[in-house]
Amino acid sequence: MPNLFSYPFFKLDQLNSFIILAIGLFTILTLIYSSRFMKGKPQLIQYYTYIILTAIAAVAAVLANNLILLLVFWGFLGLTLYLLINMGDEKSFLAAKKTLIIVGGSDALMIFGIGIVYYFTNSFQMDRIRLELNNGLLIFAYICIAIACFAKAGAMPFHSWVPDSAVSAPIPVVAYLPASLDKLLGIYLLARISLNLFVMNKAMNSLLMLIGGLTIIAAVMMALVQHNLKRLLGYHAVSQVGYMILGIGTGNPVGIAGGLFHMLNNSVYKSCLFFGAGNVEYRINTTELDELGGLGKLMPITYASFLIASIAISGVPPFNGFASKWLIYQGIILNLQDTKSVVQSILSVFCLVAAMFGSALTLASFAKLLHAVFLGQRLNTIKAKGIKEVSWAMWSPCIILAAICVIFGVFVFAIPLKYFIFPAVSNYQILSRQSLPGSWSPLLAASFIILALVLGFIIFKLGRLKLNLRQDSTFSGGEITQPQAENMVTGIDFYNTIKEMAFLRPVYKMAQQGIFDIYEQGKKFFSISKVFQYLHNGVLPTYLIWMLLGMTCLFFMLVR
Amino acid sequence: MLLFFITIPLCAAFLISLFNRKIKNLSDFIANLATFILFLFSLSSIKLISLYKIIVYRLGGWMPPMGICLVGDGLASFMLVTVNLISFLVMIYSISYMDRYTDKWKFHALFMLMLAGMNGVILSGDLFSLYLFLEMASISAYVLVAFGTEPEDLEASFKYAIMGSIASIFILLGIGLLYSYTSTLNMADISSGLLNKPKGLLVGFVAVLFLAGFGLKSALVPFHTWLPDAHSSAPSPVSAILSGIFIKTLGIYALARIFFNILGISDKILFLFMVLGVLSMVVGALLAMAQNDIKRMLAYSSISQIGYIVFALGIGTPLALLGGLLHLFNHAVFKSLLFLNAGAIEYSTGSRKLSDLGGLNSKLPITGGTSFIGSMSIAGIPPLGGFWSKLIIIIAAVQTGHIGFAFVAVLVSIITLVYYLKFQSFVFFGKLNQAYIKVREVPLVMKLAMVFLAGISIFSGLLLTPPFKDFLQSATGILLSGTAYGQAIFGAIK
Repeated sequence: MPNLFSYPFFKLDQLNSFIILAIGLFTILTLIYSSRFMKGKPQLIQYYTYIILTAIAAVAAVLANNLILLLVFWGFLGLTLYLLINMGDEKSFLAAKKTLIIVGGSDALMIFGIGIVYYFTNSFQMDRIRLELNNGLLIFAYICIAIACFAKAGAMPFHSWVPDSAVSAPIPVVAYLPASLDKLLGIYLLARISLNLFVMNKAMNSLLMLIGGLTIIAAVMMALVQHNLKRLLGYHAVSQVGYMILGIGTGNPVGIAGGLFHMLNNSVYKSCLFFGAGNVEYRINTTELDELGGLGKLMPITYASFLIASIAISGVPPFNGFASKWLIYQGIILNLQDTKSVVQSILSVFCLVAAMFGSALTLASFAKLLHAVFLGQRLNTIKAKGIKEVSWAMWSPCIILAAICVIFGVFVFAIPLKYFIFPAVSNYQILSRQSLPGSWSPLLAASFIILALVLGFIIFKLGRLKLNLRQDSTFSGGEITQPQAENMVTGIDFYNTIKEMAFLRPVYKMAQQGIFDIYEQGKKFFSISKVFQYLHNGVLPTYLIWMLLGMTCLFFMLVR
Repeated sequence: MLLFFITIPLCAAFLISLFNRKIKNLSDFIANLATFILFLFSLSSIKLISLYKIIVYRLGGWMPPMGICLVGDGLASFMLVTVNLISFLVMIYSISYMDRYTDKWKFHALFMLMLAGMNGVILSGDLFSLYLFLEMASISAYVLVAFGTEPEDLEASFKYAIMGSIASIFILLGIGLLYSYTSTLNMADISSGLLNKPKGLLVGFVAVLFLAGFGLKSALVPFHTWLPDAHSSAPSPVSAILSGIFIKTLGIYALARIFFNILGISDKILFLFMVLGVLSMVVGALLAMAQNDIKRMLAYSSISQIGYIVFALGIGTPLALLGGLLHLFNHAVFKSLLFLNAGAIEYSTGSRKLSDLGGLNSKLPITGGTSFIGSMSIAGIPPLGGFWSKLIIIIAAVQTGHIGFAFVAVLVSIITLVYYLKFQSFVFFGKLNQAYIKVREVPLVMKLAMVFLAGISIFSGLLLTPPFKDFLQSATGILLSGTAYGQAIFGAIK
C-alpha cells in the first residue's frame, strides 16, 4: 500500500493562481445573480449548498498537487453538476443524466490514465511527474486524461451535454458551470498535463489542433441554425473550447498563452451572455427566438452588456476576445513556420482557416441573435406585458463582466497578460509584448474606435439625419392583415440558406438524428445485451448446461 | 466468545418458534435483540483479534486435528463485522416491511438460522462443519426466497434449490476427495498436510469442484443463472441479505479461504479468478442495462460487482486484496441499501417496474436521497465509498501489468454509471405518474435503516485511513500469509 499522504497535497503556482481568482469571481457573481433569479424556487437551501460545494471542490481540484486528490474533487464536480442541472425544468433530468454519463464516464477513463501514470512513475505527486510520450501505453494514458478534460470543457466529440443542459438547467447554473467553471477546469487540466506532466510530441499536438479546429467549425455551424437562445449560446460554448484546445495544441508559448487567455476571456463573456439570456427569460418567460424581439429599448442595461459580450465573443477589437484569438492565430502561424512536413503544414493552415472562419461565423450568428432578441419588432404579447429592466442583482453581474471584457481588451498588455497569462507560461519561455511576433497597440486602436464613434455621432446629430420611416397598416387585396403576425422578421431564418446548401444538408440532417452525439451512439452498443438476454431464457436445463460448460472449461484449464 | 456467533442466532430461532404463538410481536423483539448483540460482539472481535491475532475455540475441549474447532482471525472478524452489521440494519428495516406478509415469525426464525449458518461458515475451522453451516444457510435461503409464495417466487426458489444442491454436492465431493488424500478434515491440518505431499491431479480436480461449487454460491458467470430470479423474487430484506452478504460469505469468503489458505494459490488459479471476475463484470453489467425490473437490475448488478471482487482477488497483490476486501464491504453496504430502497419503493407504490415509476423524489425524499447515494457510490463517483475501492482495484490491476483487464474494469464502471443513472432518472426524477399521487414515505424504522446504510456508504472510504486501516490490513494479511495459515493456527493452539 503506497502511502498516499506523505507529500504535499496542494500547490499554488503561476498556472493555477489566476484560475482560482476567476473561480472566486464567478462564484460571487453567480451568488448575487441567483439571489434574485432563484427567488421563490423550491429547494433553495440545496441549491446554494451545491453552488458553494462546487466552488470549494473546483478550487481544491485546481490546487491539487496529487493526482488522487485531483480525481476526487474533479469527480465530485460532476456530481454537483448533475444535481444542479436537475433543478431546472421538467425535462432537465434527461440532460442531467446525459451530462453525468459523459462527464462521469470520462472520469472513469481518467482513473485508468492515472493508473498508467502511476505504473510508470510510482508517484501521484504532480510536480514530480514528467513523462515522455514514447510508448503506446503512455499515449493512451494521455488520451484518457485528455478525454476527461474534453468532456468537462465540452469539446467535440464529448460536447453534446452542453447544449442540452444549457436549455434545461437553471440559467445561473449554466452560466456558472458549463460556461465558465467547467471550461476553466477542463482547459486548466489539459494545459497542466500538456505542459507539466507529459512532454508533448508533434503528433499529439497535431491531434489536439485537429480536435480544436473541428470543434470550432462544427459547433459554430450548429449554432447558426438554432432557434433557441439558450441552445444557441450552448453551441457557442462548445465552439469556443475549440480555440482553447487549438491554442494549447500549437505547442509554442504564444499559442498556449493564447489558449489560456481565451479560456479566461471566454468564461467572462460567456457567463455574461448566459446571465443576459437569463434576464430575458426572467422577464419574458421564454427563450424561443421567434417569440422575442425589440427588447433593446425595454432592457437597456441587459442589451448593452449583451452587445459588448457578443462583440467580444466574435473577436472584434478592442475587446478581449480579439486579443486572445490574435495570440492563438500567431501561435498557429509560428507552428506553421516551424513545421517541415507537408501534412502538418496543411493541418496548420486548415486550423488557421477554421479559426478565422469560425470567428466570422460567430459574428454572423450573434448578428442574428441580437436582431432576434433585442432589435427587430416587438411582438404584441411582449408589448402587452409592460416589460421593465430587471433588478440590480441581475444586471450588475452582467455589467461587471462586460466591463471586464472591455478592460481586458483595451489594457490587454498592462493587466491580464502581464499578471495572469505570461507568468503562467513563464517556465516555458519568458514572454513579453516585444517578444510577440505580431503586436498591436490596443489603446491606440481603442481610441481610434472611440474617436470614430464620437465622430459618427456628431455627424449624425449635425446632419440631422432622420430615419425616414413611415409605418402603416398593411393590406393585401384590399384586406387588412395583421402586421405583426405575418410580416415580422424575427431573424431566426437568416441562415436557412446555409442549412439548405446541397453539401451541408445531409450533414445537418445527420446532426439532428444524433449521429455525432457520442451519447446517442453509445446507446446502440447496448443492443449486445439482447444476445445475453436471449441466453437467459429461464429454463432450468439451459442453466445447468451453462454450468456444465463452465466446469468443462475449468477442468480443461486445471486438470491436464 | 466465538461460539456466541452461532449459538445466539440458533437460540433466537428456537425461542421465536417456541413462544411466538403466545405473545405477539415477540419475534420482532427477539430477532432485533439478537442481531444487535451479534453486531456488538462482532465489533468487540476486532479488538480481540488485534490483541491475539488468531483465536481458536475448541468445541468440547478436544484438540483440533481430532476435535472440531472455531477459528477467528483477521479475515473472519472482517467478515463477521460486515455480516452482522448488515443483518442488524436489515432486521430493523423488516420490522415494518415484513408486516405485509403473514407468519412474520417464520421469517424471523429462518433469518436467524441463515445468520447462524453464515457466521458458522466464517468461523468454522474444519471443512465438514463449513459444509454443514453452508447447507444450513442455503436451505433457509431457499425457503426465504419462496416466502411470498407467488408463482414466480416458487419457481425461483425451485431453480435456486436445484442449482444450489448441485453446487453443494460438488463441494461435498471435493471435501471427500481431500479427506481421502490427507486423512483429515481440519483446515489447518489439510493445509500443512498438502505442503508435504505432491500436488497431483487430484488437487486440481478438487480445485475445479470447489471453484464450480463456491462459484455457483457466489454467482460467478457462468454459474450465476439462479441469482437474478432468486434475488428479485425474494422479499426485499431477504434480497438485501442475499445480495449483500450471503453470496459473499458462502461464495467469496469460502473461495478465498480455501484457495489462499488451504489449497495454496498458484498463478493458474489467480488467472482463472481474474478471467471469471472479468467475465462476471461484463456479462452482469450488460444484462443489468437491459432490465426493466428494479430488483432484477440490482441482482445483475450484484453479479457484476462480485466480478470486481473476484478480479481483485485474482490480481493477488496486497494492494489489490485490500481493494477487493474494501469493495466487498462497500458492496455489502450499498447493495443492501439499494435493495432496501427497492423494497421501500415497492412498499409505497406497489410497483417495481422502471417504466411505471417516475418523479418519486417529491414523494419519497428519504428513499430517493439514500438511493441516490447508494447508486453514486456503486457507480464509483468520488468521494463516496465505492469510488475508493474501484480506484484501488484498477490501479492495482494496472500496476501488475494487466492493462487490458483494467481497461475492461473501467468500461464496466462506466456502464454501471449508465444503468444506475437510468434507474435514478426513471424512478425518482421526471414526471410523477398520476397513479402515485397519493404515495407516502415509508415508516420510520425503514427510513432509519436506509439512512444508516447511506451514511456508511458515504464514509466507508475512511476505512483506508489510519485508525481503521489495521482492520482491513489484518484481513488482507491472512490472505497473504497463504498456506502458512496452518502453522499459524497450530501455533495459536499451543
